[in-house]
Amino acid sequence: MALENLRGRVAWIFEDEDFDVDQIVGVKNIKIKDPAELGRLCLAAEEPDFARKVQPGDLLVGNHNFGYGHPHYPPMIGMRHLGVAGVVAESFAPGYWRGEIAMGFPQVVCPGILGAVSRWDEIEVDWAAGRLRNLTTGTELPIEPLSEGDRQMLEAGGIVGYLHAREREEAGT
Amino acid sequence: MGYTIAEKILARASGQEHVRAGDELRVRPDFVIAYDFPGYTDVIFRQMEDEFGIERVADPQRFALFIDHMVPAATTQEEELHEITRSWGAKNDVPVYEGKGIGHQVAAELGYATPGAFVVHFDGHISQLGTFGTLAIGVRRHLLEAFVKERIKFKVPETTRIDLTGRLQPGVTARDVFHHIVRVLGPRSCRGTVMELGGEAIAAMSLESRQTITCLAMFTGAITAIINPDEKALDYIRPRQRLDIAPLASDPDAVYAARHEIDVSTLEPVAVIPPSPANTRDLSEVAGTEVQVGYLGSCASGRVEDLALAAEVLEGRKVKDGFKLYVIPTSKEIMEKAAEQGILTRLIAAGAFVSSSSCDYCFGRMGVMRAGQRAVSTGTLNVRGRMGSPDSDIYIVNAAAVAAAAIEGRITDPRPYLTGAGHGA
Repeated sequence: MALENLRGRVAWIFEDEDFDVDQIVGVKNIKIKDPAELGRLCLAAEEPDFARKVQPGDLLVGNHNFGYGHPHYPPMIGMRHLGVAGVVAESFAPGYWRGEIAMGFPQVVCPGILGAVSRWDEIEVDWAAGRLRNLTTGTELPIEPLSEGDRQMLEAGGIVGYLHAREREEAGT
Repeated sequence: MGYTIAEKILARASGQEHVRAGDELRVRPDFVIAYDFPGYTDVIFRQMEDEFGIERVADPQRFALFIDHMVPAATTQEEELHEITRSWGAKNDVPVYEGKGIGHQVAAELGYATPGAFVVHFDGHISQLGTFGTLAIGVRRHLLEAFVKERIKFKVPETTRIDLTGRLQPGVTARDVFHHIVRVLGPRSCRGTVMELGGEAIAAMSLESRQTITCLAMFTGAITAIINPDEKALDYIRPRQRLDIAPLASDPDAVYAARHEIDVSTLEPVAVIPPSPANTRDLSEVAGTEVQVGYLGSCASGRVEDLALAAEVLEGRKVKDGFKLYVIPTSKEIMEKAAEQGILTRLIAAGAFVSSSSCDYCFGRMGVMRAGQRAVSTGTLNVRGRMGSPDSDIYIVNAAAVAAAAIEGRITDPRPYLTGAGHGA
């Protein structure tokens, strides 16, 4: 199974380094479980109609150490509800990375991304080629390869699917 | 070339002679630990049964569950969650520890911090077991793998070595040291690596101080922290450790991703200003800032030496009228020691609100602020809204500075309140 390429618009650029994702919905809202409600809260403090502007397949772009602090799951549960298909950043905080990969949510390390895209540019992540293409400007950058474990986790759609795949593999050997 | 302690522990736990950073292994965690929290343990228990047909874990003594958040329960839903945990534990013969304190501390007291062992939890502050030469990693939702499978897939991390040199000045604590590391090296200096600590300042530190530093490793981007166990660590943990395995330590010629040396001898008390744990300043830069709430506790700070330091600052003095000072010892064992030593009596006499161990003051469930208020805190994090209103602010400072602020109602250098000598942690 190969990972599907990601292709979508840059729906938001998080310019701060060491960005704490809980700020996307606000710490006071991180106990909310309803994806639709979380979706409505996403970046609402920054741009009240953000949720309405996002289309399925859109991507988020972050700076260095994206996900720093105590990352919780609700912000990206909300983003996925809106159709956001992944996050591309200069680099990621390891706890955030591990948590979202286990949710089956694609995360892409792409050094130089911040200087290479503007909001609403159309970009494509080509896993097999190891490239990120900005289809709006015609430029491209290399992406860092996924570890074997992370790739398997994304291919399986998250930790539950990954463990089922592991069981099938072990049963077959 | 030699190996790091992290590589040696993962070699042991994966049944191989040697492993190197970058190797992807199937590793058998010696212990699998969690606290109950909605969306975590309840989901794991359900998925084990519904998705994987596991009705009982094979080796229950490898698992440990803690009830330390939402303690005491304030709603029937919280009490129901705790009951799910208790009954799952009873059904599986897995120990459930309740009323003993914050699990990351209690895990050390109960010997899960076995030197040379590999431990997983979903929460990254479990890193503090590294104080005892245990490799303890917060793997977040990957913890399900450790509940479902004996072995988990794990990539051997690189290690960043930090040597702390010099001698701490009185009134400067491990808490200041950790945030100074973030200030000097940066909030992503150890990203994705194990932070290995050593040097004369670590050697001189109490185990409690080392637990403070290893607890907070994630704010350098590290996946955990570890210290090669010395006699001080082994003397504490030997009678408690749960596995009969030999302690491990890094070789002198181990391969590190980076090495840093930080002199702590001129360090002054620091304040981490809101809203990010990346913002370390000298406390003097924010002295005079009015504050209304103080929190002394958490898995990072709130141990006997922190409580003793606060009691010394407050000796013969009173918490300012209207100021709320919450003192929550990290565990029951610590609270008992502090009671025996008269520390709690002095804190209570000064006007502190003292309560049994719980995580709840750290994550904004208890002792919350309204808009416009400011706190001094030894909690783990100062992100906006962590202690109530998103329009309140948290300044992270050491235990003495929390107590000093409680007297004056503003952030102030605690050192003039400390009369005794030898407070270098």
